[in-house]
Amino acid sequence: MKRLSAAIIFALILSLAPLAHAQDDGAPSYSREGADSCLSCHEDAVSLAVFKNSHGVPTDPRSPFGKGQLQCEACHGPGGDHSRRVRRGQERPVIPYFAEGSTSTVAENNAVCLGCHADSTGSGAQWHDGAHDFNDVGCADCHSSHAAHDPVLQVATQPEVCFECHAAQRAQVSKPYAHPIADGKMDCSSCHAPHGEQTAAGTARQTLNDTCFECHAEKRGPYLWEHAPVTEDCSDCHAPHGSSHQGMLSMRGPLLCQSCHSQAGHPSVPYQDSALAGGSASAFLLGQNCLNCHSQVHGSNHPSGSKLMR
Amino acid sequence: MTKTTHNHSNRSFTRPVSTAAAIALALPASALAQVDTSDWKCEYCPFPDGYEAEVGVGASNVSDDSARIGSANGYDESGVYADVDGGGLYAADAYRLSWMADDLGLDSRRLEVEGGKPGAFGFTLGYRELPYRLFRTTQTVFTASGNDELTLPSGWVSSANTQNMTGLSAALTGRDIASDREILDLGFDVDAISNVTFFADYQRQQRDGVQIMGGSSFFQAALLPRVIDYETELVDAGLRYARGPLSLSAAWFGSFFTNNADSLTWDNPFGVFNDQGRLALEPDNDFQQVSVSGTYVADSLNSVIAFTVATGQGEQDDDLLAYTLNSAIAAPGLPRPTAAAEVDTTHYALSITSRPLPKTRVRFSYRYDERDNTTPQAFWQRVVVDGFLAPGAEQNIPYSYERSTIELDASYRVSDTVRLGAGYERKDIDRDFQEVAEQTEDTGYGKVRWLPIAEIELQLKGGTARREPKQYNDAFAALNNQNPLLRKYHLAYRYRGFAESMLTYTPSALPVSATMTAMYSNDSYSRSQLGLLDSDSKALALDVSWTPTEFVSAYVHASDEVIEARQAGSSLFAAPNWFATHDDDFETLGGGVRFRNIGERVDMRVDYTRATGETEIIVDPPSGANSEFPALESKYYDLRVAADFRSSAKLTWNVELRYQRFETEDWAIEGLGPDTARSLLALGASPYDEDVIAIAFGVRYRIGADDE
Repeated sequence: MKRLSAAIIFALILSLAPLAHAQDDGAPSYSREGADSCLSCHEDAVSLAVFKNSHGVPTDPRSPFGKGQLQCEACHGPGGDHSRRVRRGQERPVIPYFAEGSTSTVAENNAVCLGCHADSTGSGAQWHDGAHDFNDVGCADCHSSHAAHDPVLQVATQPEVCFECHAAQRAQVSKPYAHPIADGKMDCSSCHAPHGEQTAAGTARQTLNDTCFECHAEKRGPYLWEHAPVTEDCSDCHAPHGSSHQGMLSMRGPLLCQSCHSQAGHPSVPYQDSALAGGSASAFLLGQNCLNCHSQVHGSNHPSGSKLMR
Repeated sequence: MTKTTHNHSNRSFTRPVSTAAAIALALPASALAQVDTSDWKCEYCPFPDGYEAEVGVGASNVSDDSARIGSANGYDESGVYADVDGGGLYAADAYRLSWMADDLGLDSRRLEVEGGKPGAFGFTLGYRELPYRLFRTTQTVFTASGNDELTLPSGWVSSANTQNMTGLSAALTGRDIASDREILDLGFDVDAISNVTFFADYQRQQRDGVQIMGGSSFFQAALLPRVIDYETELVDAGLRYARGPLSLSAAWFGSFFTNNADSLTWDNPFGVFNDQGRLALEPDNDFQQVSVSGTYVADSLNSVIAFTVATGQGEQDDDLLAYTLNSAIAAPGLPRPTAAAEVDTTHYALSITSRPLPKTRVRFSYRYDERDNTTPQAFWQRVVVDGFLAPGAEQNIPYSYERSTIELDASYRVSDTVRLGAGYERKDIDRDFQEVAEQTEDTGYGKVRWLPIAEIELQLKGGTARREPKQYNDAFAALNNQNPLLRKYHLAYRYRGFAESMLTYTPSALPVSATMTAMYSNDSYSRSQLGLLDSDSKALALDVSWTPTEFVSAYVHASDEVIEARQAGSSLFAAPNWFATHDDDFETLGGGVRFRNIGERVDMRVDYTRATGETEIIVDPPSGANSEFPALESKYYDLRVAADFRSSAKLTWNVELRYQRFETEDWAIEGLGPDTARSLLALGASPYDEDVIAIAFGVRYRIGADDE
């Protein structure tokens, strides 16, 4: 009986051996057949979708499936133990990275991605300088590396990924006056650089204003007559994630303007509800209020435009 | 604040790796030499070969016209829309070409093509249109003549009082306030030589439409439906180099804006001072910037060093208009014929992220931004609303600033489940020609990240910030006729307290994840007598998702944001004699459920969103009772039910029913007809009251794909 048991055990060992590519130095072993080992079990649509994106291009030497690369194990780590046959009732060892039950940390997982993406693609070049890295956000928290079309790289679906953490912004883009983010026509990365930028709030350009000017270049100037806060910070007056007030203003006019202007000869009058359309219908309160006359609030190029009215 | 919930990573802080070591970990290339991959045939790998695509065609019926609801999605008019969308991929040998089309039948169409030889070169081509609809209820007496002139109907009877414009009603015609933006994108990158990538991106934006612009006639104003005709070209080009621990990028950015109308001449309906007025429109401008940035991973120091240097120049040299159209005014000659406006910009940034000790992480950063407006100053003789010369001459003011920010942020891992952090930021701003020439802001904060159990993560952050002007120059304010007691809120002393938290619950035993965030900030402008006095901002948001099976998922999210502010004013150019309070409350509620693969053929989804806002403004006037304005309200409801039915592996039918409602109460335009205000010729825009029901049917067909 003992002899039979030993024979069975020996046979089992022999049968398992070819499935794993053992290494002599004690390091975790890789699978015997690479992706073919993996795909013999993982033939679901999610797993196979990786071949529809840039991770699954066999002719790209940078791709995990490029010639001589480690295929699935390039990202998931050595799969020798995981792919080895297990006895009935025995728990299958977990693949090291990006798997249910994996014990890898965020930093370790991110290091896998950065092994390729910290290079000339630029996407990860400044990762370690950004708030996401500093706050232990994982690449896979946002990216679906297997998807044929990664949702966070699609304009219509990216905001929903960001809103998983940035919940306040989800509400703000639903305000009546907002960029068309809730409509799926603009994404967060139109303005923000999520992989790390050395700018305030991670704006995509050097300053907030420079970022706004990408789409609102008419406001760049420099104008002959400037409005001082406009030159410095668009968000002095505007709420870029959305507002209840037309023009995405942070407060309703004329009170917004009266926060900074109280001039002799043009007194700061407290307009009341009696000045509404049903009452005296004041042009200082209704319509565009102050902008009815001072329409060039972003600057004027008219030689008579010092009051931003021309 | 951020959370980490879905990346299959260990959420405790055990087994940390250094920043530098993290980069070195699991490098595929590093392992290549040790693994024999000669038997790795990838025979089961379904690499795309040939052409595959999915094309959808459909039709929608939209019940009603809308502005807000249809603003960006292209469904702004009632009627039937035909639509085409889809995507495809062609792969042959080492080359790939993919395309994506969305809403080709609508004003929000989008087409993207991407191709190349991965690892060698790539290109992108994109075209999209972005509609913007503000009002469909507006009317005007003006007719656009080209893009630079607005004329009144012949026989127009001018009056200083809109209610005496006898021909007004008969002359009104509808004019939507709307615009369309067309965006063309071209991109190219090539791995020119080893470790070096050259890239070039070009974008051209064209924006056309009608926008509201006020035209002033001294005591009167007309809201003008001006034509906009803008072109913007953006170019990014440069090189990226990466080898080992060093990444470098050198880039050139150019922005070139052209306004095809440099002025707007408008017939003056009031007939006051002059028969016509003229506004200068946004001038053409160019901006160019060169930048160098880089990152160096210093393994031996467990640190990553990053830097950016950028310098740019903006120019605007449009021909200037005459002081006035009114030939009866003997205005002097202009100091110069063109604007000759120029701005130089400079930016430096340096940051060092380091793990000096295994449990400690530190980030130091310094940033400097400068806007140096070098536009020459001159004295200009203003002609007021083409009516008369203003007394004295005025000098144009080229505003400049220098802003530097230094920040130190550190965190320490106390245990496997607790990380503590703290930070300090110092911001200095120097300005020219403003009431505050030197301003500092010091911010300090602390933060905690705590995992009491594996399923719960709590992040807390709180701190204070004190912004202090070195001197608020009352004399400078007086030169500009400003009340010396006024403190502009972006220049004023401000003390801010802030706190935010995030609680994440991801039970391992249940298919649920929940996140709750809360934010609070209080700004006190305690040294201001006039202007903004204080403001509070509170926000609470809850997000829950539930995935009971592989085929069913549901979500709920809700939020409430309240912003309160108080300000003081003076109608007598003296001490404050009136006050105003604002109370903005905005709530959202959303939820939905998805069923996949019902009977292996049907997917269904239901989504509901509600967003409601209310702003209350109360003015405490110098005398009499408080004046409470009618609430500014907005209500948006969106219910969407959609289903896909797969009749075969290649053919999918879809149907969608969507109901949207948007309504507002807005006293700024409520009841404001063109002649309601005697001194304002308005456009008669109405608050929104929109209901839209849309029904869509479509079919999608897969071409060339396998039948699994």
